Amino acid sequence: MTTAPRLTRRTLLRATVAAGGAALLSSCAGGASGGAVDLAYWNFFTGSDGELMVDLVEAYRGEAPGVRLTDTTLMWGSPYYTKLAMACAGGRAPDLATMHASRLATFGRDLLDEWDRDELAARGVTLDEFPQPVQDRVVIDGRLMALPLDTHPLVLYYNTDICERAGLLGADGSLSPIRSAEQMLDAGRRAAEVTGATGIAFGAADNFASWMVFWSTFRQLGGEMLLPDGGPAEVDRDAMVQAMTFMHDMCDGTIASGTLDGPAAPAAFASQQAGFLLIGPWEVTTARTAEIPFSMTQFPLLYGDTPYARADSHSFVLPSRVSVDPAVRSAAYDMAVSMLRNSLGWAAGGGHIPALSAVAESPEYLAEKPISNYRDAAQVVAFDPEGYFSGSGSTLMSRAGQTLQGVNSRALTPEQGADDLIGWLDQQLRLGSPL
Amino acid sequence: MSTSSTVRDPGATAPGSTGPQRADRRTGRSLVGGRGGIWFVLPFMVVYAAFVLWPLLYGLGLSFFDTSLVSDESQFVGLDNYARLLGDSEVWRTLWVTVLFTAGSTIPLVAIALVMALLVQTGVRGQWFWRFVYFAPFLLPVATVVLIWQWLFSGDFGLFNGVLTGLGLPEVGWLTEPEMGLWSVIILTVWWTIGFNFLLYLAALQGIPDQLYEAAEIDGAGGWRRLFSITLPLLTRTTALVVVLQVLASLKLFDQAYILYRGSGGPGGSATPILQYVYDTGFVDYRLGYASAISYVFFVLIILIALVQARLSRRSES
Repeated sequence: MTTAPRLTRRTLLRATVAAGGAALLSSCAGGASGGAVDLAYWNFFTGSDGELMVDLVEAYRGEAPGVRLTDTTLMWGSPYYTKLAMACAGGRAPDLATMHASRLATFGRDLLDEWDRDELAARGVTLDEFPQPVQDRVVIDGRLMALPLDTHPLVLYYNTDICERAGLLGADGSLSPIRSAEQMLDAGRRAAEVTGATGIAFGAADNFASWMVFWSTFRQLGGEMLLPDGGPAEVDRDAMVQAMTFMHDMCDGTIASGTLDGPAAPAAFASQQAGFLLIGPWEVTTARTAEIPFSMTQFPLLYGDTPYARADSHSFVLPSRVSVDPAVRSAAYDMAVSMLRNSLGWAAGGGHIPALSAVAESPEYLAEKPISNYRDAAQVVAFDPEGYFSGSGSTLMSRAGQTLQGVNSRALTPEQGADDLIGWLDQQLRLGSPL
Repeated sequence: MSTSSTVRDPGATAPGSTGPQRADRRTGRSLVGGRGGIWFVLPFMVVYAAFVLWPLLYGLGLSFFDTSLVSDESQFVGLDNYARLLGDSEVWRTLWVTVLFTAGSTIPLVAIALVMALLVQTGVRGQWFWRFVYFAPFLLPVATVVLIWQWLFSGDFGLFNGVLTGLGLPEVGWLTEPEMGLWSVIILTVWWTIGFNFLLYLAALQGIPDQLYEAAEIDGAGGWRRLFSITLPLLTRTTALVVVLQVLASLKLFDQAYILYRGSGGPGGSATPILQYVYDTGFVDYRLGYASAISYVFFVLIILIALVQARLSRRSES
């Protein structure tokens, strides 16, 4: 017993510490000898868009084997922007991130670095390759703050079978042009006669869908919304009342339901309970999966003479960091440009209009039906009003959504709705900007 | 909590023989007086200071600045934030929503929990089953609970509206009507958290000595008489505890309402609690200083409520 080497508690602890230390040292050495660049990328794409984004990320991984890329997908909407703002404020943000162009008013001031146009030109990308309205939105005080990947406007989906039976198709099998609000409502009524349910599937109880339809019609009516710090809001009340009247009239229970929620609207269209669907182009996947006969077109001209459609752009930004490693920054440029170049799959699968003209004008994209039908919408996009609380997934969209839901469900008249929204805007502006 | 133990304790220490011995042992090796005690408390104190005390002080400091999440500079603004919130109708509106929720949820959460505990205590068969069924929802995470209820409440496909239609009644916009928005949150919360109050009541009921009931029965008291003269009076302390815990829990309303309406605040904002307004102000609109001021006003209100409740329960005891 005494001659055998005894394993005491102390020797065991010593051995463990020594082994652990050795392992730690060797792992550090391994990390340093690899010489790879670590690149962190954040995005908010889940569902079908998420799969397409993974394709873009994988394509870049294939192009740059020397880059160790970590891609993180977070929940879309205000939680994403909260996390990103906090990460930026703490100086430990990702190297590259996705952002809606409409959110640049808040982030563009202090939290992001601008894109160096010479660096982009060296990679073959120049600003004039993007649609003018999108350029206007991503350049702030002459600095390019975001690199647009796409434009995604409000579009009109239609079921070709139902519309044919309702006599709404032209000789070429596509939807006969709709040129006024009355024609739109009438088309909805006729589609409802065919389906026996409703004519237009519309997320009346959904903030996002309601805001998109409201902002498109409001802009077509010539409405403007300026949000000066300190208030009051400079808003065209008559246009607001008229836009809300259109939504109120549409949600009469026959043309469209006044209570359909966000996920239920595409589901109603996919199950052929409605002849039309009003939402962004990303629901093309839902319609394709359901294998229904459908097509898509630009949101029609209901009022005035410019067919404005509420839109936003997914774009890439460079969050500010405490220290920037040039090799990592260079990899971030490479990755963003790679994703722009490969955006045909993104467009074809997700319905988004590619921002880069080289892709948007390519024969491959033009051959993609029905999604290239509404490519002209990129020239008449209506971005959200500029303000720190405005944009996709913002407080404005959420709060305006509350008002619009009230109008859609007929709890509010259009006049009450307009006063409610303007009253809130004034109050919000009085609080002062956090910028 | 249990009445029986408070009755027994004085009796146990009364015999003189055991008392002094116990006291001797305590003075010999006490952790309280010795130097060793601090090391046992320190880990907790460090965590408590870092994650509770420091943020509390830091937040109080923030409320005097116009600190923003998206801007580097911030300025001392004195009491401006507090002055501003007095005129911010959204603060008072959301505070009222929180108060309504607290009143609307505390009453059923206490009353129904008591009835459920009494029913189980009457000796129905399969006690374990009822205990489990009543308590099970409390074990579910909030996201799961809300997901289930979103489907139940759904306007077009929901079970509730399906049943109403089947009975020939009109559909209810559980999640779309401003009048219903907060009630849907209350119904969900009652289902979800009633198990906890139920358990407290059940434990208290089991602590009531049987001989009290036996004596009452011999004196000819019926079931109702025993309920009102023995059970309910002996549950007074438990009720006070349950009400205090429930009021404080209800005032903290945030997660279920936030998830149920995906952060939108419900139809017409009818289900926006003040904590969501604090969250939105601070993290969505990036106005951290102002959000801190609102949360401190709410904090003071909660302390006032707790003090009033403490005084009321002390008076009822004496």
